Amino acid sequence: MGEENAVKTPGDILGRVSEYTSGRGTHVRGDHICASIVGQQSISAPAAGASDKAQLPVIEVINGKERSAVPETGSTVTAKVVRIDHRKATADILCVGLRAVTQKFTGIIRQQDVRATEIDKVEIATSFRPGDIVRAEVLSLGDARAYYLSTAKNELGVVFAKSPAGVRMVPVSWEKMQCPKTKVIELRKVAKT
Amino acid sequence: MYQQKQFFKKTRGGKILKVHREHYLRDDIVCGSLACTTCAHGDSTVLSSEAAQYLLIDTNVALHQMDLLENAAIADVIVPEVVLSEVQARNKAIHGRLRLLVADKSRRFFVFSNEHHKDTFVKTEKGEIVNDRNDRAIRRATTWYQSHLAGKTPDVLLLTNDADNARRARDEGAAAQTVYAYVQSRTDKPELLDFVARTGDTGGEAAGPSAEGDAGPQAKRRMLYAEHKGMAELTAGLQKGLFHQGKLRVNRFNCFEAYVGSQSVGKEILIQGREDLNRAVDGDVVAVELLPPEQWKGPEGGIFREHDEEEEGVAENAEEGAGLAPEIAEDAPGAALENLDIGKEGGRVPTGRVVGIIKRNWRNYAGSLEPMKGPGGSGAMAHPLFVSVDRRVPKIRIQTRQLANLADKRIIVAIDKWDRTSRYPEGHYIKTLGDIGDRATESELLLMENDINTRPFSQAVLNCLPPLPWSVSDADVAKPWRADLRNLRVCSVDPIGCRDIDDALHCTALPNGNFEIGVHIADVTNFVHPETPLDLEAADRGTSVYLVERRIDMLPKPLTEDICSLRADVDRLAFSVIWEMTPSADIVKSHYTKSIIRSSAALSYPEAQARMDDPHMSDPLTEDLRNLNRLAKIMRQRRTERGALTLASPEVKFEIDTETHNPLDVGMYQIREANQMIEEYMLLANVSVAEKILKHFPSCSLLRRHPVPTPQMFEPLLRTAAAVGIELDVGSSKALADSLDRAQGSDPYFNKLIRILATRCMTQAVYFCSGELSPPEYHHYGLASPLYTHFTSPIRRYADVVVHRLLAAALNLTPLPERTRDKKSMHDLSDGLNYRHRNAQMAGRASVELHTLIFFKDRAVDAEARIVKVRSNGFIVFVPKYGIEGPVYLTKKPDKGAGPDPNDDFVVDEEHQTITSKDKRQTYKVLDTVTVHIEVQEPQPHRPKLILTLASDSKEQDGFA
Amino acid sequence: MEYVSPEGLRLDGRRPKEVRQLKCELAVLHRADGSAYLEMGNTKVLATVYGPHEVSQRSQSLHDRALVHCEYSMATFSTGERRRRPKGDRRSVELSLVIRQSMEAAILTHLLPRTQIDIYVQVLQADGGTRAACINAATLALADAGVPMRDLVASCAAGYLNGTPLLDLNYVEDSAGGPDLTVALLPKAEKVTLLQMDSKLPLDTFEAVLGLAMDGCKAIAAHMRQALLEHTRKQAVVRGPVRL
Repeated sequence: MGEENAVKTPGDILGRVSEYTSGRGTHVRGDHICASIVGQQSISAPAAGASDKAQLPVIEVINGKERSAVPETGSTVTAKVVRIDHRKATADILCVGLRAVTQKFTGIIRQQDVRATEIDKVEIATSFRPGDIVRAEVLSLGDARAYYLSTAKNELGVVFAKSPAGVRMVPVSWEKMQCPKTKVIELRKVAKT
Repeated sequence: MYQQKQFFKKTRGGKILKVHREHYLRDDIVCGSLACTTCAHGDSTVLSSEAAQYLLIDTNVALHQMDLLENAAIADVIVPEVVLSEVQARNKAIHGRLRLLVADKSRRFFVFSNEHHKDTFVKTEKGEIVNDRNDRAIRRATTWYQSHLAGKTPDVLLLTNDADNARRARDEGAAAQTVYAYVQSRTDKPELLDFVARTGDTGGEAAGPSAEGDAGPQAKRRMLYAEHKGMAELTAGLQKGLFHQGKLRVNRFNCFEAYVGSQSVGKEILIQGREDLNRAVDGDVVAVELLPPEQWKGPEGGIFREHDEEEEGVAENAEEGAGLAPEIAEDAPGAALENLDIGKEGGRVPTGRVVGIIKRNWRNYAGSLEPMKGPGGSGAMAHPLFVSVDRRVPKIRIQTRQLANLADKRIIVAIDKWDRTSRYPEGHYIKTLGDIGDRATESELLLMENDINTRPFSQAVLNCLPPLPWSVSDADVAKPWRADLRNLRVCSVDPIGCRDIDDALHCTALPNGNFEIGVHIADVTNFVHPETPLDLEAADRGTSVYLVERRIDMLPKPLTEDICSLRADVDRLAFSVIWEMTPSADIVKSHYTKSIIRSSAALSYPEAQARMDDPHMSDPLTEDLRNLNRLAKIMRQRRTERGALTLASPEVKFEIDTETHNPLDVGMYQIREANQMIEEYMLLANVSVAEKILKHFPSCSLLRRHPVPTPQMFEPLLRTAAAVGIELDVGSSKALADSLDRAQGSDPYFNKLIRILATRCMTQAVYFCSGELSPPEYHHYGLASPLYTHFTSPIRRYADVVVHRLLAAALNLTPLPERTRDKKSMHDLSDGLNYRHRNAQMAGRASVELHTLIFFKDRAVDAEARIVKVRSNGFIVFVPKYGIEGPVYLTKKPDKGAGPDPNDDFVVDEEHQTITSKDKRQTYKVLDTVTVHIEVQEPQPHRPKLILTLASDSKEQDGFA
Repeated sequence: MEYVSPEGLRLDGRRPKEVRQLKCELAVLHRADGSAYLEMGNTKVLATVYGPHEVSQRSQSLHDRALVHCEYSMATFSTGERRRRPKGDRRSVELSLVIRQSMEAAILTHLLPRTQIDIYVQVLQADGGTRAACINAATLALADAGVPMRDLVASCAAGYLNGTPLLDLNYVEDSAGGPDLTVALLPKAEKVTLLQMDSKLPLDTFEAVLGLAMDGCKAIAAHMRQALLEHTRKQAVVRGPVRL
């Protein structure tokens, strides 16, 4: 047990390529797997359902330190819409998964990424408004300016919005939200909770 | 085991820096004793287990008692690291010697790294000064050694002359003794006592008497000298202008008269008298306070005669004897004095007194002990006075037990201290050279005094020589830049018996009526490469030294007499200067090349002269010589017209008995036409090469200049000439040359005599680097040449080697070495060469003087002499036949205590340079001829002196010294 | 001047092959992503790492790797005399470049495209070997920040005085005018990321001095590793068991 969780420093040799797969915090050098960061070594069973190539146990080095989150492709992010125009909505990414980001990341939700169906008929104004908090998925790292986000899934979309009255709106359907005070209906692309 | 050292340091700019250094303490430092069972034994474990005790020395013992420590009887010594680093900081020379002792395994000196040993490291306590802390560290080391070696045989003894330190050590349980007590306890080697240096802290144990007689307690002794001011006071005074700093130069002929060259005063400050000199020694850097102008003195006019003062039991009889006649200004007695005209300003010059010593420049002095009545038994302590051969140094009092042994020997002594209460400085004996008067000892002495290196060449130097037997190889011949001149008819002319032949000449008549003349110089730089041990040794020696009976070479013999020497009938490498000259000695063109030559004849001067003179000889070589001679005469005439001076030197030549090496006969050196011919071509070559190298290397050429003498330097000559009615124009060298030619007197020797006196006014020619001075200053006064260098004798002068390299670089044959390009090192080099040249000259003169003395030892001779200078108590004569010059006293030497006899007085007429007896019966005028009686007398045993007396009057004046 | 006494001790009491006392501390600044404080003898260096974060100047971001930016500066009080150093002076620009290149070789930059890693190194007290100390401190700070690296970069200086190769020169030995060789090494892979020397050395001596410096680097790397392990253990105690 002690050995498994031994602390490793960058450059330490963890095992052979023939015996293990390199996981988080490790890299391959020649036919050895070496640690890349300082942390505890952990060996886990091979990923289920993986191809026969990845039958070897995964060896990783885990650092307990809270590292600032960085949006990666495929990760779910929570963002706040900042700006909208006809073709896209710009949002500041606030959290990546459950972890808050320490610095500003910008994401763009393009018109064609708002929803899965009838993508060319989408109007951004009826999907998002500035100030909305949305849950989105990172499509790609995008260009130099922003990540590309997508809300084209049922569980993605607006999770929090304020009505013109300043009250939190309640979702009615996948495209409507209602202010409890004024009973006005607003159009949004709502996330299914 | 990590300590931090902190201290404050003052930078050059005056800022205070806090310095922070790491200091690691170790546990792997060994004690160095073979008797120790705990420490690892290794290479450095030298302290023997058999020793009676180990000595641990403190800093002052190391600094002052080095001669004692170097004595073979002292061994098994522990030197703490703190002592070693303190010695290194205070005195580099002593540090070097201590390091040598440590390196010599047979002496068993061990350096104990106490500063880094965790048990012996001592941290500076608050408020503790450095010296106290170091003393504590030394005591700590002693106690550590004691506990470390507890039980094993050798004891550890701390040697210190500091009574306080010794007391504290004893309190801490260590054994401590003063040096004197320890040496006394060494009953197995009583002579060690002689080597103990006297320092201030001998604490009265080593009771050395001062001149006052028996040792009384310190307090009773009189303060004979003023106190020296402290450094702080001196620096403050220097800045304010109250004091002046300069190097003390003592008059060679009057050791109580000295000059301090001071830039702040502008002139030289005269210091006269024992009290004003205040314990400063020749060479020291001193601080001088000027006396008020009414106390300014003139230099003493008489020939120096040491006055008997209250010396106890020692008969003073130090009169001047005769010596070799001086050649140039620096040789002449009282040279500095002559410059300050006695006639002007009532003979007053800025006078001062020494108030403090800034830097002592004591060295080891060679000489012998003044005879004194020895103490009772042999082996009893005596305190004789040591007299150095260098007349500028005061007498030194030493203590010795072997007075009888040292009485008539030449010894070497060092000065330790000079207290206010002691008339003479105190010193200690170092070693013996040999018997006085013994030619070998005296030669060694004069070489030592002139800093001449006589050690044999080291193996490293000999390894630089090409393998012997050497001859010109095909590779040499094949070199395209080396001209093959073996077809030329080359010959060389040198003194009889000369084996190191530097130069050779050839002369070929050309079809167009001109002559091709070549001067071929030995190609020494082909064998001596820059920065090799051979080159560095030669640069250090600077020049070959010619003594009467031997020659001390600058380069090893295989080079000087064989490989480089342009001997006859062998191929040799040379560096050639070749001119095409018209029959009227005008140079049409010149070129320089390295070459191979084959000399057909190595002639001597008499031989060459004979051949030229003999009308029956008409072989091609003799014809060449005659052509050369004819052209040389034309060149000489031209030079004279331009203003070159023809001076005369009173050079004498000895004929040495081949067996005993004693001089058989001595006579003036004969200058023949052949000599002058060779001289002309050498001068021409030197000038040509100087022009060539200066053109290519205007800022780093090594040239030779002769500064113009100042008008003051001509004063004595003008006065003398005026007294005999000759007018000399010293405005320029040409004017002087012309007026010298016109100066004819009553006898044929007169003109030569005037020339000799003129030579005495000349300055010394010196080497310099062209980048340091402006072109007008390159002038060579004596040759009346704007430019000059030394090129023609690389075998015996290092300057020529450098010039060869410059010329080779100018011809693009070899690149110029780094060192020659660097201005500073050229400056240092030329200073060094000038120093060595001067020393070689002085050594040569001293050697001639020595042989003159030996020659006259068993012969008394009467000879003709000319008066050259008139003094208040006599005159100075020059004896042409033997080339000697010395004083003839007219007045009787005053008896002890009495003043000069008034009846004996002679009156001096400065303007007419005459001295007349009171009763007007005898008058002597400068340049008069007198007959003198020359003999060697020994007023004191083993102190021979050459004494001159008036032969014609020797019957009348008896009882003269 | 004698830098190595015939007894085999240097001016401060070390032997020629001994490195000065090394002290390291990690995570000294909490605001930075990673920081380290390193002392090599009297040379004290503080390194901080910010990142990986988004590139501040979009134009400079690299699409496939991380951008490593490094800044070296000496405090005005770091040498014996207080001296103000302008930010962009030649020496600090050169050293910044040198440290950057050295660290870049070790960081697995391809894992962090479009990001920037900032390394700031500040010399608090200079006593010889600042270059080496900076690189060592930067390594520790990067390891503390969790930036993935191939190996620790260890650096050490060596010289040649009095005919002996000396390891880890201090200021006095450095100013002696002899050759000064700085090496930064990836110890496990035995790969050199920095090799700088001033003055001249004959080739065979150079090999001896280089070998000595590399040995020094390995010793320093071992010490640094030890310090990292200690630090992580202490942190693990504080933070509790690791959560995934």
